Amino acid sequence: MKKKVVALLLAAVLVVLTLGLAGCGITKKPSAEADTTSTTKTASSNEKKVFTMGIDAEYPPFSYMDDNGEYTGFDVEICKAACERLGWEFKVFGVNWDEKLIQLDAGECDCVWSGMTILPSMKEAGYVISEPYYDNTQVVLVKDSSPIKSSADLAGKSVAVQLGTSGEALLAEDGDCADLSATFGELVTCESFLKCFAELEGNGVDAVFVDAPVAKTYVAEHEGFRIIDENLGAEQYGIAFRADDQANCDAISGAVNSMVEDGTYAKIAEKYPDIVNNLLFLNK
Amino acid sequence: MTLATMIMKMSEGLGKTCAIFFLTLLFSLPLGMIVALLRRSKIKVISKITQFCISVLRGTPLMLQLLAVTYGPYYLSVAVNKLSDLYNWSFYLDISISRNKLIPVVIAFAINYAAYFAEIYRSGLESMPVGQYEAAHVLGYSKPQTFMKIILPQVIRRILPSMTNEIVTLVKDTSMAFTVSYQEMFTIGKQVANSQTSFVPFIIAGVFYYIFNAIVGFVMGRVEKSMSYYTM
Repeated sequence: MKKKVVALLLAAVLVVLTLGLAGCGITKKPSAEADTTSTTKTASSNEKKVFTMGIDAEYPPFSYMDDNGEYTGFDVEICKAACERLGWEFKVFGVNWDEKLIQLDAGECDCVWSGMTILPSMKEAGYVISEPYYDNTQVVLVKDSSPIKSSADLAGKSVAVQLGTSGEALLAEDGDCADLSATFGELVTCESFLKCFAELEGNGVDAVFVDAPVAKTYVAEHEGFRIIDENLGAEQYGIAFRADDQANCDAISGAVNSMVEDGTYAKIAEKYPDIVNNLLFLNK
Repeated sequence: MTLATMIMKMSEGLGKTCAIFFLTLLFSLPLGMIVALLRRSKIKVISKITQFCISVLRGTPLMLQLLAVTYGPYYLSVAVNKLSDLYNWSFYLDISISRNKLIPVVIAFAINYAAYFAEIYRSGLESMPVGQYEAAHVLGYSKPQTFMKIILPQVIRRILPSMTNEIVTLVKDTSMAFTVSYQEMFTIGKQVANSQTSFVPFIIAGVFYYIFNAIVGFVMGRVEKSMSYYTM
């Protein structure tokens, strides 16, 4: 008798569990479709200029596909808002990153705007490149009294970096500054910039590897520190347009500038706390 | 990054996790006994002061104590030096934040856990009937002899389950060393999680802690069994 009761109970639990799990699977779907249709329909009724943005859909937080299957990201949101301001219809085209400029030339998109590093070769090839809007430069912050004069002096020293910042990514084993970090005596990962700076102040570390804007703000507010700026990991992001397309570049830049002025730009940037410190328009 | 490299990376920090664990036990177990005896001191002042210290250590987060032990001395020295400048005292403190973070981490852990262990010891000591002391006295045992040979073994036997509880908590608390940038296993796990945008390192960390605690549980179970001849 007892055994039967236990078996029945177990069976009941199993049934409830499976129903529950299946229920979870079903309820998720409809919301994903609702959003995508709304954006594409609105503009097609009257004759609007169509502006197609070329993005790398796998480059968060600048441009990526969100959980609902829609393209989003900082760059996408800015471009969308700029197009709204200009009265253009906004479209997204996912480029093949290696061939992005060819696809731009072919007219598959009207710009490449996706956390794209400005390379001298692009300007030489004649592409119209916007003013840079994002700066990935890292600097080394040391005490005024420190003997460290350049990044080469960091050999054997202990250096602090904040967890989850672009600095940490650059110094990681597969990062662009891996060679530099290999010379460090010790790389100390702190959970906040506050801790990094406290360690530096109390001689717990010899230097802090930090985003240029963050370091500049800190030095302006605190005495006794100096910045070693060697353009480490220097990268500036910009927007590329076709060679004969100065007009689009001016229009988009104008719209972005007006968004910077009226605060729309900052409002969008707030949603992306990881990059906000490096946005050139906000940290002038 | 493959699962294997993640596990490899994180096990690099496992040594440091173990270092915190064993060193904390090494220092806090005897320290806790001293504190417990001071707490039971017949001199009121000593007992009251000890009681206050224990209440502070148990009443504030371990995370805060870690920060205080690591960064406190430096900022204290800064404050003292400012006063020294102001009143022309003739000394100057030169304290910097320790580079070997294991030292402040173990100090903070040992002090904190000593407070908890002290209360566990006290519960054991106070559970011993006065009759045993009296009987030992009658049989001609000196006070230290009574304590070492009769009382202590029984106390240890009685408090073992609560000790296991506390030691298991210690294993998990080692992850708090992250607050002062000590690169133990969980810190590295967080770094990997961040760079790989993956939750897998946290699962690995969970498994690591569980295995660690399973071993602790097994060892403590053995110790309990080996002492079971004291049960009445």
